[in-house]
Amino acid sequence: MTIAAFGDLRLHRLKKIEIVVLAEDHALVEDLLKAAGVGGWTMIRDVAGMGHSGFHQGKTIFNDQSGLVMFVGVAEDGIIAGVARGLARLFERRPGVTFLSDVEVMRSDYFGPAAT
Amino acid sequence: MMVQLTAADPVLTRTEVAGLVALAARTAAPLWPLESAIAVNPLAGFEGLPFEAAVRLAAQRFGARRSLPLGQWRKLLAAGKLDERSLRDAAIRKLGGLNAAFELIGPNISRLDLLMARLLHLPVQEPGAGPAPLPADAAFIAKWCAAFFDQGQASSPMPNRELGLYRAVLAAIGHDPDFRALTGESGRHLLLSVPRDPLEAIAEGLPALGIPAGQEGPKLEELVARLPGWAGHIRWRNEHADPEIAAASPAGMADLLALWLLLERGGAVSAPARPQSAGGGADLLARHFGLAEAVDDARLADIAAMDEDDLGALFQTAAEWTYRNTLAARLQTAATGRAPPESPDAQLVFCIDVRSEPFRRALEGQGRYETFGYAGFFGLPIALHRHGEARRTRLLPVLLAPQHDLREAPVPGREQEAEALAASMAQASQASALLDAAKQGTATAFATAEATGPLAGLLMAARTLAPGLARRIGSALSPGRDDVLAPDLGGHGTRAPFTLEEKVGFALALFRLTGLPQRTAGLVALVGHGGSAVNNPYAAALDCGACGGHAGGSNARILAAILNEPAVRTGLAARGIAIPRATWFIAAEHDTTTDEIKIFDRCSVPASHRDDLAALAASLARAGEANRQRRAALLGRSADDLLTGAAHWGEVRPEWGLAGNASFIVGPRWLTREIDLEGRAFLHSYDWQADADGTALATILTAPMVVAQWINCQYLFSTIDNDRYGSGDKATQNVVGGIGVLQGNGGDLRVGLPRQSLFTDDGTPFHVPQRLLTVVLAPFEQVERVVASNTILGRLFGKGWVTLVVIDPHSGKALRWRRDAEIAPDAPANHETEI
Repeated sequence: MTIAAFGDLRLHRLKKIEIVVLAEDHALVEDLLKAAGVGGWTMIRDVAGMGHSGFHQGKTIFNDQSGLVMFVGVAEDGIIAGVARGLARLFERRPGVTFLSDVEVMRSDYFGPAAT
Repeated sequence: MMVQLTAADPVLTRTEVAGLVALAARTAAPLWPLESAIAVNPLAGFEGLPFEAAVRLAAQRFGARRSLPLGQWRKLLAAGKLDERSLRDAAIRKLGGLNAAFELIGPNISRLDLLMARLLHLPVQEPGAGPAPLPADAAFIAKWCAAFFDQGQASSPMPNRELGLYRAVLAAIGHDPDFRALTGESGRHLLLSVPRDPLEAIAEGLPALGIPAGQEGPKLEELVARLPGWAGHIRWRNEHADPEIAAASPAGMADLLALWLLLERGGAVSAPARPQSAGGGADLLARHFGLAEAVDDARLADIAAMDEDDLGALFQTAAEWTYRNTLAARLQTAATGRAPPESPDAQLVFCIDVRSEPFRRALEGQGRYETFGYAGFFGLPIALHRHGEARRTRLLPVLLAPQHDLREAPVPGREQEAEALAASMAQASQASALLDAAKQGTATAFATAEATGPLAGLLMAARTLAPGLARRIGSALSPGRDDVLAPDLGGHGTRAPFTLEEKVGFALALFRLTGLPQRTAGLVALVGHGGSAVNNPYAAALDCGACGGHAGGSNARILAAILNEPAVRTGLAARGIAIPRATWFIAAEHDTTTDEIKIFDRCSVPASHRDDLAALAASLARAGEANRQRRAALLGRSADDLLTGAAHWGEVRPEWGLAGNASFIVGPRWLTREIDLEGRAFLHSYDWQADADGTALATILTAPMVVAQWINCQYLFSTIDNDRYGSGDKATQNVVGGIGVLQGNGGDLRVGLPRQSLFTDDGTPFHVPQRLLTVVLAPFEQVERVVASNTILGRLFGKGWVTLVVIDPHSGKALRWRRDAEIAPDAPANHETEI
């Protein structure tokens, strides 16, 4: 697709998923992303913020498992849908939030599925 | 179970299965290998539940007891480990308060009398005849796990390991008579038809077995719990090990679960074991009080219906209250009677480990020494590449990932000795590899035994008949490794592992977290610790948990060296910590088995400090002797015998380790200095006045205290049910190379601690199973802010895994943190209450 403001830049529409979970649950989300075939993702450690159970402090210096982490992944709709379905199972038992949105990327080959 | 041979349409998608598997994996706690054994709460995956509910659910899952047997608790009561008054208080609460407890069932016989009789006098269930053998299905999977995860012990490694556990086992079991015996013809068909992808196999297997929607998760959790040892090993490999360890033989929890479902589809899975804890019998209870007419009274029946685990839980509560009330009273008195500070001759920073406390007390009795408690990794997130070792050693708590890799290098001026040592270490390593290869070769095994047998026999004889001599010979043959090799901080042409800013940060953390004053003494010693044991699979469990199950001397050496760097001192001064120029930091290591102290890098100590160091070394030796005498009495042997035990290859209990651990005290040393804490307290130094924003307290409670809680829970559950949560009798264990131990010649990897670490030889528990009591000296609101903003703490204190008591520094009053269940759902979250 092309958008006028971007001139002749070729953009590719994909789906983005952002996931915020307790840092101690990061391995659960990683397992899920791998199982869904997401080729790569960004993990932002030491996330803090306000939730409905109060303020969540960031990571403390001697415990990587404290605080929250945020994952950002971009892939084809079907793959992200798979992640979302798996997350729905995780969120039945563990706290966390997720955001889905449409995004455009310039290099679609960076976001191809991983071998599972 | 009806055998299902046709493929069922999956109900769940592959990623839904992945989500359920990831959750189910939490049922088993990660299990570290023996070389870096660290304590883990075997119920870590249940910590989201209130303690009592977690214990109940885990008991169902693992087929475990919920409490120490009643007969054992009665022995502990008779030995004075808990008081009867606390037991009565626990019983009254159980019955619903004073009015309900004193309700009369018969003439002058209250409900409380009935319950106390059940607790103290009525006959108890006889202990069973030991653990049931592993069912054939679990033994089958355990056998293939042992083959797959073998780390080079097997002379013929299992083929196809690169395909993963599930696929490799599928490829192999077609020829396994055990598989045919378990699954018959249906197994043969299944092997041809099941998906090769473990997630897809689970997705297909769950509906094929008729597992209803919503029950898939509990089903998978139940299967993970069948072999918690191997499941824990898988978790360690995937979540905590360096990636190269698992790269050649990948295995996830989905692999293990897909194998279980394969067996179940083949009709081979047995019903899970469920231990039965008996009620007392209404007849017996009524007869005991001559109340035949009351046998049908519901108020009697509900007491008679309590099983022995219910009663044991009351004893546990009583033990916790006995300890809490005694300690809190003593700390309250101490909090208001602070002695004026003295100018110390030396300051020493020990690990928070419970074994440091009695040693610190003994040392403080030797002179003007001020001691502090700090996490034994000294705040350094490091891994060390030891000379001559293939893999790096993680010298930090498992809560952290290493951020800096260091290597060992020769101590300046000792390069030639280091070279000679390296050559002899390489030779020894080659000889060992050759011997291992020769032992396993079919043509060479007997020849090897003949060739090396006499020498091995001599060594065995020496370690049996003259272990002290063997120890001295060993020391003489390997001249001070630590004297010629040291962790390399750069500056010798190698890349520095830390920036100056990082070094200043590590140095600053020591002061900020412990309240160590900037007016330091002339000598400040950082004292790591480790144990000594020969031929002991659990040797690492005696080392420092904060250093990932390794001795902490290297960390102490590194931080001491950092603190002696002029540039770091300058950086510290710029951050408000101006250390006197006359201060010199030294590193040492406390051997908790022998109570000997090794002082590192003595030759680099300035001449101006040599006399002070000599005096300190003499005091440390005297303190060691005193502490050895104290510990020897607890072990029922002589102090000299402890030195022998550290070198004896048949020694099953070289020390009591952390047995007895009960509290975690956060405050300055003057709060506890006059109290004999009996080696049961983790002590973390802390100055609330220097921590206005609560950062230091948050760090202490979310890291060192969490490690202490893991240790506490490991000891607690290993004692309650040593067969399920512990590893049983050391004498019948077999080591699976590099991984763990088995009981006998196969089965599940054993989790937890051996019986000898927890019980005396006559079977009486040495460790009293009770939950950790955390005490903080600080204003309640300061502590409350920290707890409220850290999820981990809200869970541990709110759900009853740890009891929190806060002592107000102004009034000395002790307040307890109320559990979530004590706060009405619609009431404001007021956590403060009397103890």
